Amino acid sequence: MNNKFDALKDDDSGDHDQDQGSPKDSEKEKTEDEDKEQNTSKKKMVVPGAGEHPLQYNYTFWYSRRTPGRPASTQSYEQNIKQIGSFASVEQFWRFYSHMIRPGDLTGHSDFHLFKEGIKPMWEDDANKMGGKWIIRLRKGLASRCWENLILAMLGEQFMVGEEICGAVVSVRFQEDIISIWNKTASDQATTARIRDTLRRVLNLPPNTIMEYKTHTDSIKAWEDFHGLVNASGGR
Amino acid sequence: MSTDCQKTTAKAIPSSRRVTISDAEHMPHDYSTTPGGTLFSTTPGGTRIIYDRKFLLECRSSPVAKTPPRGLPNIPGVTSPPSKDTNVKTHNGELLNNNNKIIAPDCSSAGEDAQFEMDI
Repeated sequence: MNNKFDALKDDDSGDHDQDQGSPKDSEKEKTEDEDKEQNTSKKKMVVPGAGEHPLQYNYTFWYSRRTPGRPASTQSYEQNIKQIGSFASVEQFWRFYSHMIRPGDLTGHSDFHLFKEGIKPMWEDDANKMGGKWIIRLRKGLASRCWENLILAMLGEQFMVGEEICGAVVSVRFQEDIISIWNKTASDQATTARIRDTLRRVLNLPPNTIMEYKTHTDSIKAWEDFHGLVNASGGR
Repeated sequence: MSTDCQKTTAKAIPSSRRVTISDAEHMPHDYSTTPGGTLFSTTPGGTRIIYDRKFLLECRSSPVAKTPPRGLPNIPGVTSPPSKDTNVKTHNGELLNNNNKIIAPDCSSAGEDAQFEMDI
């Protein structure tokens, strides 16, 4: 790398989770409280309705957006991510999905996240701390179709990796879009291989599409380096 | 074979499943499926609820799946609450949308309260 900006350029959809970095303790507490207020104001158990088809897990849709040019910080990330709603059945999923814009039509630096209920779409969540993600970069025009295929596969339990899946993200960026799927244990190679194989099977990707696996801790290190959180002697 | 929800009791995992294809015509057109439907009858650890893509898409056309969900936040450019022009609804909770007319069902199938919940 010739300059620090290269580190950020190679960063993936986890651009947003780059924003979390290593917050100061007091700051972190505060944002967690804000987050609680903002996102758990109505915590009601979501259950499938009568006659609906239940899902193996409940899921929550989230949306985040970053104003371009604004400095990234833990606080701003927590404020910029918003819960859209949770669902427990196939029909409930469609009710949300049918009333959301397709990713290909989103503007700006935006993300949709679809995570199992109780798992926040942030590396700091217990479920994600030791985890990682497969990321796939897509040229413009493919995100809507690929996102739909990805989440249908996830909701339909096509990945066959037990409890490992945490959630999926679609990230709309300037000249490309990125989809990713997060799992709990980055070191579990059998799991990550099976996820990769399922992605190939269900996504119908263009030939030569590259899939890359990144652990969340690697992403954090890259963020820290970029933001100069390494001191002069290379320590932290 | 099965495109429905498969909920089976735990049993021994079948070692393999053979589907003989004699004609290229019988291969699925969709790269992401296997011949005879995507099959996962049991998984280690017991019963799992599995749906294939085709089945999930079919569920989309059910009337129960079309009404806006309760509490959908109004985020311009992101969520599309049903009536863009007006918030008119009849006493029965019928919702006039741009394309669809969603009629509240008589039976209390899923999420009946959501269909009457118009304040977003």
